[in-house]
Amino acid sequence: MDVERRDAEFAREALPWIDDVYRFALSLTRDEADADDVVQETYLRAYRSWHTFIPGTDCRRWLFTICRNVFLRSRERQRPTVDLEDGEQDALAAGTVYEAARERGYGDLYARLDIGPALREAIDELAEPFRSAVILVDVEDMSYESAAEVMGVPIGTVRSRLFRGRRLLQEKLASLAAEYGLAPAAAGSDR
Amino acid sequence: MSAPPRNELEALGLSASCADVVRHLWDYLDDQLTPDGADRLRVHMASCTTCRGYSDYQACFLEAVARVRTKSDAPVSLRERLAEGLKSEGCSCWEAVRKDRSEG
Repeated sequence: MDVERRDAEFAREALPWIDDVYRFALSLTRDEADADDVVQETYLRAYRSWHTFIPGTDCRRWLFTICRNVFLRSRERQRPTVDLEDGEQDALAAGTVYEAARERGYGDLYARLDIGPALREAIDELAEPFRSAVILVDVEDMSYESAAEVMGVPIGTVRSRLFRGRRLLQEKLASLAAEYGLAPAAAGSDR
Repeated sequence: MSAPPRNELEALGLSASCADVVRHLWDYLDDQLTPDGADRLRVHMASCTTCRGYSDYQACFLEAVARVRTKSDAPVSLRERLAEGLKSEGCSCWEAVRKDRSEG
């Protein structure tokens, strides 16, 4: 491929995603200066290895994959290996969290309040790789398949990590609701 | 993938259908279930207020998480730096990094 054509393709396919890659990098690093470094490195690597991008495929996903790898390498954690519970166990645990929330009167917490700020904080506090799974699937609206490619793991692993991440978020939010005394307002309202 | 032991679900006082909802609701909301599986859950939830409440709760949660997505534009300083970086790599489209920003 000649240089001119390559650069034109890179400009057309990759450059429109700078803001998305920045947002993803910021979610991973939780630090603006670190996110800048990760984005810079992501795009330089993307440019150098543009010949490996397959035309017609999802360039945003390709860039997110590079971005996450850059982030992990910057943390010297190339392949995190977390011992995971089965995804269904987390689904079950989430059911238990809901039951407890319902009994305490905040079963409709998510519908009742703007929990955005608390949720953002809770996501930031999630450990990797659960944070990546939640950000990619639930925040960035990627399919399990795309998230699996970005994370370099099988789809089943994305599912397990996602379910664990969601369960941890719900536990954190339930605990915050109890801490701030949100229960009495709706006690018994959803029985 | 192994399912949670049946006795754990029974300990919650759930029927087999309710247990299926607890185990597979996220798969259902994520559109990962087979059409048959999704239908089974849908039919049960139509007649079970407890499971409908649980489904509403989880759907509201996922909607709240999706709303967390904020518009965070890459800072001008980053675009400037990136343009310089690409320029030094010999990329002829380096100026487009700045232009994209001005086009919003």
